[in-house]
Amino acid sequence: MRGDLKFSASPYYLTLYLKMKKILLLISILLFTHLVNAQNPSRIVIKGSIKDTAGTALSAATVMLLQPKDSSLVNFARANESGTFEFKNVRNANYILKVSYVGYLPYQQVLSPSASEINDLGNLKIKPIAKELIEVVVKTARAPLTIRGDTIEYNASSFKVPPGSSVEDLLRRLPGIEVDASGNIKAQGKDVKKVLVDGKTFFGDDPKAATKNLGAETISKIQVFNDKSEQAKLTGVDDGKKEKAINLELKEEFKKGAFGKVTVAAGTESRGVLRGNYNRFNKKEQFSILGYTNNINETGVNWNDYGEFKGNNSFNNNDNGDFGFANGGSRYNFDGGDLLNNFDGKGFTNNFGTGLNYNYTFQKTKFSSSYFYNQTRLSLDQFEEKKTFLQNSFFSNTDTTGKTDFRRNHSVAMRVEQMLDSSNTLIAKANLRVSHSDVGTNQSQRYFTDENTLNTTSKIDNSSKLNSLGFSGSLIFRHKFKKKGRNFALSTGLNTNSSDGTENLNSLSRFLNATNVNEQVKALGQLNQNENKATLIKSSLFFLEPISKKMYWESFYNFSTDHREVGREAFNALRNNSRFDSLSTFYKNTINYNRVGTSLRYSFKGVNVTVGLAALRFDLEGKLYGGKDYPVAQSLTKSYDAVTPNISSDIALKNNTYLSLNYTLNVQAPDISYLQPVVNNNNPFYIITGNPDLLPEKSNNLSLYFNKFDPATFSYINLWTEYNSYSSQIVYNQTVDENFVTRTRPENLSGGKNFNVGTYIGFPIVKTKFTLNLNGNASIGNSPTFINGVKNETDNKSYQLGLGFNINPSEKLLMNVSGRLGFNNINYSIEERQNQQIRNHGIDASVKWNFAKKLFLETNLDYKTYRNDRFGFDQNIPIYNCSVRKLFGKENKVEVRLAAFDIFNKRQNIVQMASQNYVTTQRALTLARYFMLSFTYNMKGHADKLKKNGGW
Amino acid sequence: MKKIVVLLMVMSSFSAISQTNEGVVKYTRTTYWTKLISQLSYVTKQEKDKMSYMFGGRDDWKEYMLLYFNENGSRYTHSEEKSDESEGYDWGKQEFNINRNFEKNTMTDLVDFLGKGYLIEDSLQTPKWKILNDLKDVAGHICMKAMVEDTVKKQKIIAWFAQDIPLNAGPERLYGLPGMILELDINDGAVIIEATKIELKKLGNEMDLPKKLKGKKLTEKGYQEMLYKFVKEKTKEENANWIWMVRY
Repeated sequence: MRGDLKFSASPYYLTLYLKMKKILLLISILLFTHLVNAQNPSRIVIKGSIKDTAGTALSAATVMLLQPKDSSLVNFARANESGTFEFKNVRNANYILKVSYVGYLPYQQVLSPSASEINDLGNLKIKPIAKELIEVVVKTARAPLTIRGDTIEYNASSFKVPPGSSVEDLLRRLPGIEVDASGNIKAQGKDVKKVLVDGKTFFGDDPKAATKNLGAETISKIQVFNDKSEQAKLTGVDDGKKEKAINLELKEEFKKGAFGKVTVAAGTESRGVLRGNYNRFNKKEQFSILGYTNNINETGVNWNDYGEFKGNNSFNNNDNGDFGFANGGSRYNFDGGDLLNNFDGKGFTNNFGTGLNYNYTFQKTKFSSSYFYNQTRLSLDQFEEKKTFLQNSFFSNTDTTGKTDFRRNHSVAMRVEQMLDSSNTLIAKANLRVSHSDVGTNQSQRYFTDENTLNTTSKIDNSSKLNSLGFSGSLIFRHKFKKKGRNFALSTGLNTNSSDGTENLNSLSRFLNATNVNEQVKALGQLNQNENKATLIKSSLFFLEPISKKMYWESFYNFSTDHREVGREAFNALRNNSRFDSLSTFYKNTINYNRVGTSLRYSFKGVNVTVGLAALRFDLEGKLYGGKDYPVAQSLTKSYDAVTPNISSDIALKNNTYLSLNYTLNVQAPDISYLQPVVNNNNPFYIITGNPDLLPEKSNNLSLYFNKFDPATFSYINLWTEYNSYSSQIVYNQTVDENFVTRTRPENLSGGKNFNVGTYIGFPIVKTKFTLNLNGNASIGNSPTFINGVKNETDNKSYQLGLGFNINPSEKLLMNVSGRLGFNNINYSIEERQNQQIRNHGIDASVKWNFAKKLFLETNLDYKTYRNDRFGFDQNIPIYNCSVRKLFGKENKVEVRLAAFDIFNKRQNIVQMASQNYVTTQRALTLARYFMLSFTYNMKGHADKLKKNGGW
Repeated sequence: MKKIVVLLMVMSSFSAISQTNEGVVKYTRTTYWTKLISQLSYVTKQEKDKMSYMFGGRDDWKEYMLLYFNENGSRYTHSEEKSDESEGYDWGKQEFNINRNFEKNTMTDLVDFLGKGYLIEDSLQTPKWKILNDLKDVAGHICMKAMVEDTVKKQKIIAWFAQDIPLNAGPERLYGLPGMILELDINDGAVIIEATKIELKKLGNEMDLPKKLKGKKLTEKGYQEMLYKFVKEKTKEENANWIWMVRY
C-alpha cells in the first residue's frame, strides 16, 4: 500500500516515476564510475557555489557529503559570504552532496568520482520552500516536513482546529488543499475523487462521507496521492489515468485495542470457578467489565485483575487531601477494597462479584467511574483455647464457634481530575456504598479453674442484620504560583455513614459452683435495635514557599468535625420484649479537630531534612440520653491541646545508599465509642464499658531506615529499627469475678513501649543462577494492664529468622527453598509461673519447570509447625500443591491446567497469639484437599515461558 | 582531523555572522517509562498492553539539563531546576558531566555507572550520523533530521539539528552534526530530550573542567565494553532494572 502511495499536501508534487528515474540514474552512474575509477586521482577538492533561484548567494548554507548507500555523513562545510564552499583533500568516491539552508528545500546531487583533482560543481540553485509551508506548517503547527525530492509531506495532527471540527474544517487549513462551500475537495488544483480511511473505503464512494463525518481530532496524517482509475483496477491494465485521492490516517489512540480472559474450572468436592474480564480501550477511553463466582475462597480478584479492571485509575497520586506531617488525628480513607481478595484463611466461602469501569482521559481531563457488586457467604467452624492470667492464678476456657456470615455491597465510584489551566488543578471524588450483612453465631464456651475443673458453661446464639449507606466525597484544588516552587493546595471532604440493624442476643450460662439456686443458671434474651449516623466534614490547607534553592517553608492547617449519633433500643425477649433501660442508649458526640503546623525543609543534592512543629486541639462534646427522644441524661465536654514536634530526614547518599531518620509525637483522640459509658454485652463473659474520662493516646516514635543496593551484583541490604513509647496509652483494664466474667473498660496508662529491629539481605552466590536471601527481625514489647487492680506487665519478646535460596539452573527450571524460625517468649509479671514460649516454624519449597514444549509443572510444599509446650499444643501441617498446565494454539491463547491442592488433606487455619494477660490458640477448618481442572482463554495469549520476576 | 579543520573554518565564518557564539541551551529530558519497558524483548504482548492501559499518558518523568557551549567545546550536565511535581524535594542525581573539546578533539566525561564514578578520557569519535530529509521547528529553529544507532544499548536515536546554529555540540553524549542538536528522540519516544530555551550570552567559568576529576579512568571503548557486558547479562537475566541502572 505504502509503496504506491505517493502523497503530498502541497504544490510540490513529484510522481513515483520521477523517483524511479533517479534510482536508475544512480545505478548507471555507479556502474560507470566503477569502470573509469582506475585513472582517477585518489584525493580531490570538491567545490561549488550556492545560489537561490533568483541568483542570490546563500552564505552560511550547510553543505554535506553523504555516503550514497545509507546517507551517512562523511563531511560537512559551510558556504562563505559569497556562497561558495570547498571540501579539500576528500577521497575521490561516490557521494550525495546535500545542501540545506533555512527556508529552502534541501538540495541533493549525486556525485561520481571525478576525473580531475578539482571537481567544480559550479552554481547550485536551491529552491525556497513556499512561505506558507514554513509559516503555517513548521512554525505555527510545529509539524515536521518530510521532503522526498520535490515532494513535501507533513503531519496534519499538529493543526489546531476548534474541538468538534470535522476533517473538512481541517483540510481547509492545509496549504495546497481547497474545499468549496459544498464540501468538494481539490488537491493541487485537481478534484479529489476518493477519500480512504487507513487505506480502506469509508462508507461508500462519496469522498465527503468521511471528511464531513469524521472528527478532525481523530486524524494523524493526511496523504494525497494518485490512484489508478476504477477502470484500470477492474481490467488490471494500467490506462495511465490517475485520480487524486486522499488517505486519512487515524491517530494511534483512535485505533482500538482489547484484551481479556475467561477461566472455567471444575473440581472435586463440588468446587468450581468462573471468572472473566474484558477490556476495550483506545488512548482516550477505557472500558472494562469483570465478573467472578467461586467456592474456593477467593473473595475478590488479585492485584493483576484489579489493575486490568481499573486501568489508568488503578493508582492516583495526590489524592490524599490530608496535608501536613503525619499525625493520627483525623484521617479518612475510603475503603475501595471490596474488589480485592481479602480472605483471611478461615472457613469456607461462596463468592460472587461483578463490575464495570469506564475511564476517559483527554487533554486536560481525566474522568473515571465504576460500579462494583460483591457478595460473600462464609461458614466458619472454629475452636479456641485461651488461658487468662490473674494474680497468682489463671483460668482457661474453650470456645467452639459456628458462624454464618453473609455480606453484600454495591459501590459506585467517580473521580474527575481537571487541569483548569497550566497552574490550577482540581480533583473531585465521590463514592457511594450500600451494604448489607446478616450474621449468625453459635458459641459454646466452657470455663475451667486453674485446677482444670469445669466452672462455667455458656451457650450463645446471636444473630444480627445490618444495612448501611455510606458516602464519601472530596475536592482537592492545587495552585502553582508564577514563582517557581510556590504551591498552594486546598482540600475539603465529606463522609457520611448511616446504618440501622437489629441484633438478637441469646445465651444460657450455667455456673456450676454457685451455691444459690437462682445464680446457677442465667439466661439472656435481648433484642437490640441499632441506628447509627456518622458525619465527618474536613478541610485542609497547604502552602509551600521556596525560600532559596535549598530551603523550603511548608505550612498547613487541618480542620475536621466528626459528628456521631448512636442509638440502641434494647428489649428483654424473655419478658415480653419490655425495654431494657440500662442497656438502651442514645448518644451524640462531636469531635472538632484543629491543627496548624509549619516546618522548614532543607533539600539539596539528595539530602532532605524537615523540622517542624504543630499545635493541635481536640474539642469533644458528648451527650447521653436515656433513649432517642429522652432528655439529656449526661453530657460531657472536653478539650485536649498538644504541641507535637516532627523531624524527618531522607538522605540519598552516593552509591545507591539511602538513609531515613524520623521522629514524631503522635497524639490520637480516643475513639468516641470508648468515651460513652455504654455497655457491650454481646459476649456475657466479656463485658465492655466506655470511659468518659479517657484522655488521648500519646506516643513518641523514633525510626531509622537504611537501605543499600549494589546494581553491579544486584545485592541489597535493608536495616530498620523503630522505637515507640507511650506517655499515655489506652489499654483495657480488667476485673474478673469468681465466675470468670471479665469486665473491662479502656483507661489511660503510661509505660508501654516496644522496640523493633530487622534486616533483609539478598545477594547472588552464582550470578543469575543462585541467590540467597536472609531476613531477621526481633521485637521487644512491654504492655501494662491492670488486672483486678494489680498492674501486670507483659513482656513480649519475639524473634524471627528466615533464610531462602532461589535456584535457577536454566530458563526452564526455577526453584525456591526457604525456611523460617519464629519464637515468641511471653512473661507475665503477675504470674511468672505461666511464662511461655510460642514457636511457629516453617519450610517452603517450590519448583516451576517448563519440562516440554508448552508444558509446565508447578509444585509447592509448605510445611508449618506450631508449638506451645505449656499449652501442650503441637501441630504439624504440610500443605502440598501440584499442577500441570499446557498451552494450546499458535498464540497460546488457551491454557488447560490440572491442579491438586493440599494433597495430604491437612489444611486448617491456626493462629497462636499472646497479648495482655492471655494466650490463645485458634483453629479453624478451611478448604482442604481438592482437585481441579481449569480452562483459560486469554485473548492476547499466555506467556510461553516461566517468569523469573513477578512483574517487569 | 580533516573535519576539525573544516569545522574551524565553519566557526570562523560563523563568528563573522553572529556576535556571540557562546551560551547555554536548556533541555527538558522526559522519560516515558512504559515505552521504555515495552522495548525489552521478553515483555509479553499482554504485559505491554496492560502497562500502557494502566499508566499510559502519565508515565512521564522529567529532568532538566543544560548544555553550555562556545566555539571550542561544550559541557552538558544537570540543571539544578526541580520539577513542579517534586515539591522541592531533591533525591540526588547521578553524575553526568559531559565535556567536549572540539579544538583539542578530546572528551572528558564524568559519569556514574552502577554506583561508581568513571572518568572517560579519549579523543573524539564522531557518531556515524545519517542525514534524513525532514525539517521541523525546535525552540524557534528549523532543524534537520539525522539518525544514529547505538548498538550497545540497542537504540535508534533521532536527532534534530539547527541549520542556523553552526556548532556541532549536542545533548547527552552526542555531537558532530553540522548544526547544534536541539532535540533527541531515543527509541520511538521512550526518552525525548528537547531544547526549550537557547540563550546566547557570555559564559563565565561554566565550561571549566572540575579541578578534581574523580573516577576510574576509562577509554571510550572501555566504557562501551563495560556497558555492553552489563546490558547483555541483565537482558539474559530478564531483569528490567538495567534500564534504570544506566542512563538510557
